[in-house]
Order: sequence, then C-alpha cells, then structure tokens
Amino acid sequence: MGTMLSLQEVTKIYPGAEHIKAVDRLSFDLEEGEICTMVGPSGCGKTTAMKMVNRLIPITSGKILIDGQNISRLDTIELRRSIGYVIQNIGLFPNMTIGENIATIPKLKGWDHDQIAEKVESLLEIVNLPPGEYIDRYPRELSGGQQQRIGVARGMAADPPIMLMDEPFGAIDPINREHLQDEFLKIQEKVKKTIVFVTHDIDEAIKMGDKICLLKDGKLVQFASPEELLTEPANEFVRDFVGGDRTLKRLNLLKVRAAMSPDPPVIMKDESPEKAKSMLNELKADHLIVVDNEKRLMGYIDQEALTKKVDEVGDIARSTDAFLPASSSLKDGLSEIFTHDVGYIIVVDEDKKVLGILREDGIKEILRK
Amino acid sequence: METRVFYPFMKKFIPMVLTILVVLSLYRYYGAWEYTSKNLPEFFRLVLEHFFLVIVSMATAGSVGVGLGTIMTRKGFERFGSAIMAIVNIWQSIPSLGVIALAYGFLPLLGLSGIGVVPALIALFFHAVAPIVRNTYAGIQSVSSDVIEAATGMGMTPNQILFKIEIPNALPVIMGGIRTATAIIVGSAPLAFLIGGGGLGFWIFTGIALMDMGILMAGAVPVALIAMFFDALLARLERIVVSAGIQTEEYQVA
Repeated sequence: MGTMLSLQEVTKIYPGAEHIKAVDRLSFDLEEGEICTMVGPSGCGKTTAMKMVNRLIPITSGKILIDGQNISRLDTIELRRSIGYVIQNIGLFPNMTIGENIATIPKLKGWDHDQIAEKVESLLEIVNLPPGEYIDRYPRELSGGQQQRIGVARGMAADPPIMLMDEPFGAIDPINREHLQDEFLKIQEKVKKTIVFVTHDIDEAIKMGDKICLLKDGKLVQFASPEELLTEPANEFVRDFVGGDRTLKRLNLLKVRAAMSPDPPVIMKDESPEKAKSMLNELKADHLIVVDNEKRLMGYIDQEALTKKVDEVGDIARSTDAFLPASSSLKDGLSEIFTHDVGYIIVVDEDKKVLGILREDGIKEILRK
Repeated sequence: METRVFYPFMKKFIPMVLTILVVLSLYRYYGAWEYTSKNLPEFFRLVLEHFFLVIVSMATAGSVGVGLGTIMTRKGFERFGSAIMAIVNIWQSIPSLGVIALAYGFLPLLGLSGIGVVPALIALFFHAVAPIVRNTYAGIQSVSSDVIEAATGMGMTPNQILFKIEIPNALPVIMGGIRTATAIIVGSAPLAFLIGGGGLGFWIFTGIALMDMGILMAGAVPVALIAMFFDALLARLERIVVSAGIQTEEYQVA
C-alpha cells in the first residue's frame, strides 16, 4: 500500500476568468485502494479537480502524480486508458451492444479476442447482469440503473488502477441509488481500485468515502475520514455543510461491532436449569442467551421458563429474532433495540455465532467520543 | 410475431403494387409499350445515360457532402459551420430547373461549355449535395455530448471517436439526407436533357413537344421506376449499415 494518487498545489484558472481560481492550490494524497469522495457546494471546483486527473481539463499550475509519475509527462491517450471514467449521464455508446461497450478500451489496447470475451463476461457478472442475457443487447433496452452498472463495468474494463467517477449515481432514483451504492461498495471490496468520486450529496460522500475531500470556492476545507469529518469538523462551514444531524450520520457510519460489549451472558444448551438459575442471580440479569456447542445462537431463557422441569436448558430455550450481524450499522442496531423493546440486542457473525451484545449505553458511549 | 411482421409489410406492399399496376396500364394504354419496343436500342441507351447521370452525381455529391458535413463539425472549423449551413439552405431552395439554368448560364463565364453531360452532372451534383451536407452536419452535431465526453475520458482519439461513435450514431440522419438527395437527383435528371445531358428526359420532352402521350410515357414511366428502385435500394442499405441499437421503424427524412 503506497500513495497511488497525489495532488500537489494543483491550481486551475480558466482563461477569461483570471481573477477566479476554480481550484486553488489543492493538495492531498490517496492511498492505493481508497475511495476519496469530493464534495462541496456547486461551483466549488470538485468536478474540475477530478477532470484534471485524466487531463480532460488542463492543469494551470501544480502537479498530479499517479504512482509517482507526473501525469503531464505521460501521453494523454495512454493516461486516459489507464484511468476508468464513469459519468453521471452514463454516456453508453448507443450504436454498440453492451458487450461492445465494455470491450471498447480493451479492444483499442489490442487485447486478444478470448481475453476480451472473458473480461466482459466476468465484469457483467460482477455488476450482477447475467452475461447470457445482456451481452448482445443495446443500451436503449436497459433501465437507467442497469445502464449505470454497464457504465461502471466499462470503466473497469481495462483493469485501470484508478477510477474517476463523476456523480455516477446522481441521475438514479433514491431507492435504486442506495442499492447501487451498496453494490458498488461490495465490488470495491473485491477490486480495490483507487477512486476519486465526485458527489454533491454529503450523505453519499460519507457512505462511499474512505476519505472525504470537502471543497469550497476551489479551496480545500477539510480532508479527512468520514468519522473525523463528523466528529471534528474543521470549521463552521464544515459543521453547516455536514448538517445538524451529524450524530445520526455517525450512527450510519459506525458498525455494531464497534459498540458492542463482548461478554454476553451465554449458557451452553446442555447445562442444567440449576446452573442457569445461579447464573441469573449472579449476573442480576433477566435473560441468558442459549448457544449450542459451536456458540451458535439458539434462543434465550428467563426465570419464567426455568420453572419447567427439564434436564437441559436447550429444551426450554425460546427462539428470538432480536439479533443482528456485527457488520450492520449502529443505526440498524438502535432501530432493532427500539423495535424489540429489549435491553439489548444479540450480536452475531455470519454463522450466527454469538459475538456480544449491543446496549443503548454502548451506543451512547461511542457517540460521545 | 408473424402478424406483427406481416401487416406492416402488406401496408407498404399493397399500395406499391397498385401504383405499379396503374402506371403500367397507362403505359400500355397510351402506346408507350409499342413505342419502346420499336426503339429498344435507343431505350437502353437512354436508360444507361440516365443511370450514369444519377450514379455519378450521387456518388460525388455523397462523398463531398458527407466529407464537408463532417469537416464542419471538427474542431477549428465550427465557425464555418453556420455560414456553410446558411449557404446550403438557400441553395436547397432553388428549384431543379433553376439549377440547370444556372449551370447553363454560369459555366460559360468560367470558360467551360454550358452544354453536355459535364454541365448536367455539375448541376445535379450541386443540387444534391445540399441535403447531404446539412444532414451529415446535423447528425454528427446531435450525437449526445455525454457520449462524446465518456469516449474522450476513456481515452479514445478524436479519429476513433469520429469513426466509431459519431458517424455510426449519425448514420440514420446521414442516410436520410442521402435518400432525399437521391430523390432530388432522380427527379431532376430528366431536365439534364435540356442542356444536352441525355437520359430519359429526351423522350419526355419530345413527347411534350409533339404532344404525343405515348413517347412521353415511354420516358416518364421508367424514370418513376428508377426512382422507386433507388429508394428501395437505399432503404435496404440503411437497414444493413445502421446499427440495430439506433434503428427506428421509420426515419424522419429531412
């Protein structure tokens, strides 16, 4: 992991508007595999800054390094072919099939036929559009959301280490947008591209970014992780831009894992009811979580259940749906606590193994930090 | 599926067959058939001359028109675009006979003969080039700027963008211009006879002069059939060269 993309004192002044610096001495470094969301009010220079990376807009002064190389020394066409480009209005080529659209740059780069076919199919699978069904169709036959998936696949076709995305989900309805965002983050976990992602939506910036680059009037106001931006806004402008519901936004960002207490009151299913009673008294708890031999959640028992005569607590465990995976957001966690009206929610992993419990206190404590 | 293909076909086919039947019955009624069969060698010569006029002027107007229309959209030439379009629009409003007359009157001023095949070809060329330039220019201009931006940002060169994106996407409009131009040329070609350009106009104008419907029809009917032939040919060509991704049922012909 090294610095993949580095902007150093990058400045843009448009001819005819010499008194305005569209981008003013912008500097930041982006590690390999990171998403940097560029956000700010309209006219803040975020799109201009992004377009200087693939030289769609010529740089006035300063320099941009990709993997240590100054981009102004590279051939423009070669540079652009090594950077994936996805725009808001998608811009699929209407005269080409989906397959041909994705294959455009690999073809121009002279990949051989089989290699291209393989790549196109694997990309269609990654973006959840079955190749058999979509490869020979034309853009106009697809919905907006499907088209943007193709746009993303086309951007990744030539295996570029860097991708530029200009409000890629901006023209898509809110429900589909959220879906595409989640899908894209999953893809990113696999492909680990270094991405500059322009958006005007602070929620999207927080959700998608490993780093957020907040701009105003061409100047960098704050470059920080979403968590830092929410907890330590650099100034009044950032505070306002992020919005009054900063704390709630953090709920979205933080994971249940971070706020759970790791010592849940568990009891193995083959323990005796007497043991359970003594544990309840000892812990001064109302419930015990019953798990099987592999620590997987079976249910819970309380005093009332223990009045029944059985040998093992597993036989009287009541099933519950008051649990959720550790990778869920704290917002979901809080919502579960309120929904079930219980003191805590059981936190499990993908195999339903009990990892801990989440209490309101735990959430409050982490938000105080 | 079958009916969906069948009905539009019948809708085109029945009027076409009816038109041909009516024309052919008139053709026989006025004695054009008789006249043609008596003068068969001359008939073939005139048809050949007519085809020559149409094909040569079409080919030159097509290549020059598409070329000029394309250049007008290139960087650095944009400012000539609107000027050329203005000229082209005025030019297109001059009637066919006017163009022929202009060629007859204007070419001698340049020291060229105003009579013969060449002036006829020049006149037809100038008349046909206008819609092609216009549609090529408009067609390329109308390709979405998002598509161009995506192509540029991905790393396509201006030439690759022109030949792989702009022209293929403008083709329906360009082909519309070519069909209009062909209709104009086939329709105006008989007038070429007036300045010694030959072709089936010979029989048409002879028929008019002698007030002989037979001779007139012997020239006019083949002209109509040639027009239908070229239009069908271009419609077929359009189906082949235009990508299925942008084809529509009916093109708007400018």
